[in-house]
Amino acid sequence: MSEKNMDKRKGNTFNRVILKLLGNEKWQHLTIPIFLIFLSFIAASIIILSLGKNPLGAFYNLLQGAGILPKPSYAGYKSMLTDFLSLLNYMTPMIFASLAVAIALKGGLFNIGVSGQMLLAGFFATILIGYSELNWVIAKPLVLLIGIIAGGILGGLIGFLKYKFNINEVVSSIMFNYIIQYVLSFFIHSYYIDPVSRQSKYINDAARLTLVNVELINLKMDISIGFVIAIILAIVLKQFFDKSRIGFEIKAVGANSKGAKYAGINVGKTMILTMVLSGIFSGLAGVTYYLGYFASIQPKTLPSVGFDGIAVALLGNTNPYGIIGASFIISIIDRGSTYMSSMAGVRKEIASVITGMILLFSACSAYIQYRIRAKKDSLAFMAGREAEE
Amino acid sequence: MYEYIVEMRNITKRFPGIVANDNITIQIKKGEIYAILGENGAGKSTLMSILFGMYEPDEGEIWIRGERVKILSPNHAAKLNIGMVHQHFKLVHNYTVTENIILGMEPIRKLGGLIPYVDIKGANKNIAELSKKYGLQVDPTQKIEDMNVSLQQRVEILKMLYREAEILIFDEPTALLTPQETDYLLDIIEELRKGGKTIILISHKLEEIKRVADRCAILRKGKLIDVLDVKETSTKTMANLMVGREVSLEIEKKPAKFGPVVLEVDNLRVKNQEKVEVVKNVSFKIHKGEVFAIAGVAGNGQVEIADAIAGLTEIDGGSIKLNGVDISKYSIRERTIEGISYIPEDRQSYGLILDFSLGENLALKDYYKEPFCHKGVLNKDAINEYGNKLIEKYDIRSSLGVNTQVRQMSGGNQQKAIVAREIELDSPLMIFVQPTRGLDIGAIENIRKMIIEERDKGKAILLVSLELDEIMSIADTIGIIFNGEIQKIAPAEELTTKEVGEYMMGVTA
Repeated sequence: MSEKNMDKRKGNTFNRVILKLLGNEKWQHLTIPIFLIFLSFIAASIIILSLGKNPLGAFYNLLQGAGILPKPSYAGYKSMLTDFLSLLNYMTPMIFASLAVAIALKGGLFNIGVSGQMLLAGFFATILIGYSELNWVIAKPLVLLIGIIAGGILGGLIGFLKYKFNINEVVSSIMFNYIIQYVLSFFIHSYYIDPVSRQSKYINDAARLTLVNVELINLKMDISIGFVIAIILAIVLKQFFDKSRIGFEIKAVGANSKGAKYAGINVGKTMILTMVLSGIFSGLAGVTYYLGYFASIQPKTLPSVGFDGIAVALLGNTNPYGIIGASFIISIIDRGSTYMSSMAGVRKEIASVITGMILLFSACSAYIQYRIRAKKDSLAFMAGREAEE
Repeated sequence: MYEYIVEMRNITKRFPGIVANDNITIQIKKGEIYAILGENGAGKSTLMSILFGMYEPDEGEIWIRGERVKILSPNHAAKLNIGMVHQHFKLVHNYTVTENIILGMEPIRKLGGLIPYVDIKGANKNIAELSKKYGLQVDPTQKIEDMNVSLQQRVEILKMLYREAEILIFDEPTALLTPQETDYLLDIIEELRKGGKTIILISHKLEEIKRVADRCAILRKGKLIDVLDVKETSTKTMANLMVGREVSLEIEKKPAKFGPVVLEVDNLRVKNQEKVEVVKNVSFKIHKGEVFAIAGVAGNGQVEIADAIAGLTEIDGGSIKLNGVDISKYSIRERTIEGISYIPEDRQSYGLILDFSLGENLALKDYYKEPFCHKGVLNKDAINEYGNKLIEKYDIRSSLGVNTQVRQMSGGNQQKAIVAREIELDSPLMIFVQPTRGLDIGAIENIRKMIIEERDKGKAILLVSLELDEIMSIADTIGIIFNGEIQKIAPAEELTTKEVGEYMMGVTA
């Protein structure tokens, strides 16, 4: 065998190992993202190395900061568990927001107004329930209900404008973002402002969706009720899209609205319904953010998690389970960055670089899948040839 | 000197899951009309895309004018004087003929020797001369969006000639043309050959190849079957070699037995999106057991009639009665339930949801009914079981059965899936728009047979087709449309192909 052929063989062995690791098509939706996240960390390592720091140490600190690994020491009433619970608390609005984006994407719509819908839902829940003296048994469900109604109505309105007047949902939701941001800021400044913090006044704990400073086993923990609801709803949503008739119709309209119309699906109605559903999840993101993770509203500011949700939804491949995983990873990087920067001396922004890189790589996942198939076919073909010879 | 102007030696090209070209060698002489014949998916277009620099072959060599070359891009191919007219034209619609032709190689002049500008006037003149030379009449200042398909094709040909192409590749050039336009194009191709050009004609239409080509390479499933001298070969032999078995397009048809009227269209008027009336006071009736065909040049309102009956387009006036019930206000789904099957012209954007599985697409019109859906929850098992039944009955081929993503399937099998789904609806009225467009002979034969079978079962069939052969061979009644108006309705036996062609052009008023 010639030298060239030997080289080819070697290359093939390497390829075969990679192919084996990435598994068959059934598992690729899982193995490819993991492979890509791994690649992003390698790329980030190179950057950290070039700054003269130890990347493994930095990643270790990142996980410590997020509550995945134990820190060397903790302040009083704190432990790895409390850090981990804060991570879940931080993650909750992100899951809801990403699910909201994913629902719209499934229906072929782009809900860039998640932030505005969050703010509207958070505002109404705050002024109606947050400042009331209601008992928590009534207050907490009412907060959720108001989030659902406010988000659903605004989402539905955007869908209706698209259906009735053919106004692009991206344009109308950006405009609603502005309107809500400034109109609500006017009301907050006029009636609900706390002069010291320059934010809206704190809400009563009875209305909060996160139980703060719960004392248990000598620890003070923040327990997110919203997180449990988010996980349950993600599972329900997955079933909804996989098995229900309406989920099928939403997907059909999203994949090909002309084809859906031809099949007899009422496209306009389905579009409005999609946006109502998406708005409901935005509303839940809003109440778990403003009445859960926070307890007040910062005027004139849209929550950035509404926009991060777009990226997370794409990273999770608009699959609810994927979104839980993606939110988890992005939250770890966000939450761990402060600790990493103080311990490893790596700037906090490196965390954003890693996030950016993960998103960039995940945009290539279809390409990678294609390459794997092409590679497998050519290997099979060559094996066939060799057998023939 | 070289013996062959184009030589492709041992070309192999693989795509995931398929070997599109398997060790193919073709040799083309200068000044020859060389046809490449094969069914859909035989690898014709892939082979030519390799020659045009759109794909790189996995194995094999290309020799142009006796020199070995690697063609890296279409631009590179253009430098080697290779031009291609694609099946789907690549023109900028709101540009004029001249602007389209010079795009990418604009003649630049300098105003006062300083300020550069594009010399449109000069280009207009050059193009007018060029079009005169080859008999390709076009107005260089006309915009593409105002031209019909046949004229647009002329622009594509001029574009190649303007770029001094000597090897001209035509990819299924007559797929969208009327018989008269086809004749005209074939004349031009012969004219070009006289002008010293070498022509490669990709086609699956045997009559055309028989008429103009010198030699013909036959491809089947990615392999070169034979290269034949066209003059000495019968079309029958070519057809059999292409399909790999005996085929016949002569449909055996029993005389029709008309029953009562199923569809009655009365004074139908339809406006398009620009509010132009495209269907003008059209009336006709279709009986049980009748194939009623609408013949016409593309874009004369026939598709709008079909869309209006199926409910995809709103009507502007008139009535549509199905079994005596006026359905013109019904929703699409209500009409389907009332009894309409519809095979739309555009199978990829209307007929199917390409990202969905084959099973889901086969149930696309029934998914909401029992047993596929129970209390709002879909029953995947029932859907797949039904899908498997249809796949077997209609011989729909795919790699993963019901789980295949329809996008991955070939055009012919996609069409089979639509036909299967619509026929299984068992509707009293079946609308077929261009049911065999772009299909190969084997599939055409099958679909035409199915249409006749359905007719014999007592269905009323509305057929819209641009293929006159198809209309003449299966229709019982022909209505000819021109400019949105029905020119003539007559039993098929009473009309000749020539007469129908004349009505289609609006010649006989």
